[in-house]
Amino acid sequence: MIGIENITNNNGWAMAAVGATIVFSGLVILSFVISQIHKILQLWEDRENLLNRFKKKAPAEDVEEFDTLIYEARHLPKLDDLIRDYRPLAEKLQEPFKLSELFEIANQADIPHPHLSIQRLQEAEVLVAEGDGTFTWNKLKGE
Amino acid sequence: MFDLFLQFLSNTGYYLADYRHYLMIVVGSTFLYLGTAKKYEPLLLIPIGFGILVGNIPFFKGFGIGIYEPNSVLHYLYFGVRTGVYPSIVFMGLGAMTDFSSLLAQPKLMLLGAAAQMGIYFTLLGALFFGFAPKEAASIAIIGGADGPTSIFLTAKLAPHLIGPIAIAAYSYMALIPVIQPPIMRLLTTKKERLIKMPPSRKVSKKELLIFPVAGVLLCCFLAPTALPLLGMLFLGNFLKECGVVNRLANTAQSAIVDTATIFLGFTVGCSTQADVFLTPKSLGIFFLGAVAFSIATASGVIFARIMNLFLKKKINPLLGAAGVSAVPGSAREVHLMGLKEDPTNFLLMHGMACNSSGVIGSAICAGILWSFFV
Repeated sequence: MIGIENITNNNGWAMAAVGATIVFSGLVILSFVISQIHKILQLWEDRENLLNRFKKKAPAEDVEEFDTLIYEARHLPKLDDLIRDYRPLAEKLQEPFKLSELFEIANQADIPHPHLSIQRLQEAEVLVAEGDGTFTWNKLKGE
Repeated sequence: MFDLFLQFLSNTGYYLADYRHYLMIVVGSTFLYLGTAKKYEPLLLIPIGFGILVGNIPFFKGFGIGIYEPNSVLHYLYFGVRTGVYPSIVFMGLGAMTDFSSLLAQPKLMLLGAAAQMGIYFTLLGALFFGFAPKEAASIAIIGGADGPTSIFLTAKLAPHLIGPIAIAAYSYMALIPVIQPPIMRLLTTKKERLIKMPPSRKVSKKELLIFPVAGVLLCCFLAPTALPLLGMLFLGNFLKECGVVNRLANTAQSAIVDTATIFLGFTVGCSTQADVFLTPKSLGIFFLGAVAFSIATASGVIFARIMNLFLKKKINPLLGAAGVSAVPGSAREVHLMGLKEDPTNFLLMHGMACNSSGVIGSAICAGILWSFFV
């Protein structure tokens, strides 16, 4: 038997199509894999830098620790003490109040470092900005 | 006494020879001439050519002399061909000699190695069209991979009676690369395309070279486990070379072992071309189809490179497609020479080697796939 009939009877079309597809896809996959090897190796070799980058982003706590150190260096009371001192003052003011008003009555009460203290309360989100220049006392954090 | 003399004469090759033996001796001598004087693949053509001479000296059958006679020395040496041992050893040596850095630097060139394998499947259809049995057709088709050891390996598994003509066809066309490929390359490319310069390859790290044989053997052999005897050995040889801690083994694999296997492979394949077995109409058909396979493989590589250029920002020189056949390093050298002819500052050798080495992997996968179709 010869000709197209021989090809068809012996499954030639399928063998050629399947064979060509397999070898082509095999080499495409291999070429993709080897094109990624150097990138993966680069990532592996830079793994410490990458990990450090993640470590630097995470620590909101670190910032707080850092700030705490600064405030302690300036002999500012701890946050809990500040809350205890400023809560009665804030209650005296009608919410929302301006920081200048809080500053004024803190000065009158002879509380030391009122400017830094109010800044600290702001950073700790005890004093919450309303967006129009006025602030409220955050009862959740300021209890 | 005269009778004894006559009896002796009747047992000599001069008496037993017919025109077919002389014809094959001419073929063998031509191989020796091409290998020696023209330096066309001398490492292959010289052992094969000499084997053809030895295999075609007529002898009185039954003395255990010929390669097809059980218990003859040649028969034992031929064992490595019949079982696919020599091709596997040659692949290990090839792996230990091959530097895959150019391929790792430009993985997209691997696609050209894949495209050049299309010649195998077109020839499979062609061989079936001309009435060959499916296993014979698959063995003939693999000539399109232009890889002697792979052709021998697959033929030994599927159609052992055709090893002689197929091996001779495969190695002949590999040796005739400088004659077959350039006209096809010129025909399918424009001058402007042939002048395309390839950028220098990036430097490939030692770790990449080390990971490649492991990734390669796992990916390829999981896909086509029947290619394991070839690709397993190829990547083993390459790992020996790249790991840097077994230099003695790597050096032996790429010199003594591969040389020994090449000598016995070439010589016994040559011996297997005994005129009465070799000179048949089928052999002529195999030679014709082998030429078709090799030409289509070259053409499909070049055409695919041109197709890739339609999508690539940085164009590749389509001549490289011709190096997608796995005739290492003949076709890469031919591409390089043609590139130099067009522009003496255009060096394509390393890029050609990338395509060449992917062609080796591709044709071994093809052999595995074809074999698995008949398992």
